[in-house]
Amino acid sequence: MGLLTILKKMKQKEREMRLLMLGLDNAGKTTILKKFNGEDVSTISPTLGFNIKTLEHRGFKLNIWDVGGQKSLRSYWRNYFESTDGLVWVVDSADRLRLEDCRKELSSLLLEERLAGATLLVFANKQDLPGALSKEAIQEALALDEIKSHHWCIIGCSAVTGKNLLAGVDWLLDDIAARIFTID
Amino acid sequence: MEAMAEHSRETRVTGESVADKIQERLQKRHQARAEDAERKKEAKESQSVAEEKSEYFASTFNAEQASIEELLSSCSGADRTVVTQTLEEATVKTLQLQKFLNDSILFLTQYELRRAQDALQKLLASSAEIREEALPKKKFAFRARSKATDKVSAPPVIDTPAGTGSTKVVGAPAESLQCCFSNMDNVCLIKTAEDIHKQDVLLTHLNNCKVRLFGSPSTLHMTHINNCEILCGPVSSSVFVDQCSNSTLAIPCQQLRTHNTTDTQVYLHVTSRAIVEDCHGVHFAPFTWSYPTLDEDFIVSGLDRDRNNWSQVDDFNWLAAGTPSPNWNVIPEAERKTNWEL
Ligand SMILES: Nc1nc2c(ncn2[C@@H]2O[C@H](COP(=O)(O)OP(=O)(O)OP(=O)(O)O)[C@@H](O)[C@H]2O)c(=O)[nH]1
Ligand SMILES: [Mg+2]
Repeated sequence: MGLLTILKKMKQKEREMRLLMLGLDNAGKTTILKKFNGEDVSTISPTLGFNIKTLEHRGFKLNIWDVGGQKSLRSYWRNYFESTDGLVWVVDSADRLRLEDCRKELSSLLLEERLAGATLLVFANKQDLPGALSKEAIQEALALDEIKSHHWCIIGCSAVTGKNLLAGVDWLLDDIAARIFTID
Repeated sequence: MEAMAEHSRETRVTGESVADKIQERLQKRHQARAEDAERKKEAKESQSVAEEKSEYFASTFNAEQASIEELLSSCSGADRTVVTQTLEEATVKTLQLQKFLNDSILFLTQYELRRAQDALQKLLASSAEIREEALPKKKFAFRARSKATDKVSAPPVIDTPAGTGSTKVVGAPAESLQCCFSNMDNVCLIKTAEDIHKQDVLLTHLNNCKVRLFGSPSTLHMTHINNCEILCGPVSSSVFVDQCSNSTLAIPCQQLRTHNTTDTQVYLHVTSRAIVEDCHGVHFAPFTWSYPTLDEDFIVSGLDRDRNNWSQVDDFNWLAAGTPSPNWNVIPEAERKTNWEL
């Protein structure tokens, strides 16, 4: 039995997944995390370090890491890469001025060896804002179609209304589960 | 504040005898002193608990860090199987250390947190380096990845029926519903609720302008602002400020995120937190601007009027615990702006 099989078996037993949420500051990562968990979102401050939340969903134990996106914190992102099953990239769909920044940060993440096996979910957040770009426009701006190294999906959502958060997480879980919990 | 309250109470009791008044005042002063002593004692106690905890954290963390470093250095010259085992052990220990850090985050200062993160980062980097050197990548890693590539599926469309997705040109203003005011010099810009209500408002490249936004936008973004006075009604989520100089802002909001800003005064009502990053000379005071429909706009925004953390500003470039950031300060009461007329 190889190391990979053993790892698979271990994870299978626990049905545990590790999800990493990243994105530029102000994208809405913490708000998504708290909304998904049914918590109050009105008191959220910009994240100084990171938040970690463990929650049960569809019989899976999810360890969700939400790391601050301010410029001065981005060099620490790599501290959280190890054993990530799913990467959630959150975008403020109304922030046109920083879309290029956003594309660059994402594309350099995808080159990371330690994220190589992870499934990518892109949340085009803040769809409730009248000026939000559609998820198709975000898909184009971030050049998602060029990604060949990861399974990926983009979903338009709103952390404020909660719209599509569940749809996104469910897609992510299905994709990860198909990869790591398959019985050999 | 306290002095004023005292004063008004005194004017109310002018009818009573002087002796009574003195008696009462002495009593009050005594009570205040006792309360103050109690408060100081409590503060001291909680301070020492915090210090104890962070000492414990530092010594545990440093010890673990040292033991992992030792493990890693024992790899040099060792044979393959030993290196594999040692690296595995080091990885497990590093992850545990990360977990320990997570569990301690509540009582750590920003500085301690960053230092610990730096240490972890170094450990991960050097174990990756050793792995690279001693254990060239095995075939299965490649195979596993190319398999994943084969399986890459077309992204499923979830919330839009097929065919309706028009290809928008990113940033094309014609198609944009964003409420945007840009490239103006020496103007007075006034917008009412009809223009900005629940909108995402963008102000960019304004010079020498006076801006009044009467209403409650969803969010407000400003960049490249110079020598302006910008007053805005309650913003229900965040305000994002970038490249702003020599200006005066007055805004109620949920979060204020200030970047690359210099010599600017902010009259603020913020219900969660204000932050500065790469800023210098940002001065804060409580929000005092008012206009006829401000009360209604506060209700529309959903902001809590009783919670204002205007003076609790986090500076992402300032890590020293206990020393205040030199990049922002509070405007002394006597110097605060009180007249907001155009
Ligand atoms: N209108 C709208 N506002 C949102 C949405 N999601 C988040 N926000 C607001 O955007 C601001 C930033 O949200 P956060 O969750 O703090 O952003 P973050 O990505 O965690 O930011 P960092 O911690 O700095 O990395 C807050 O004021 C939120 O209320 C959304 O879907 N719609
Ligand atoms: Mg956050």
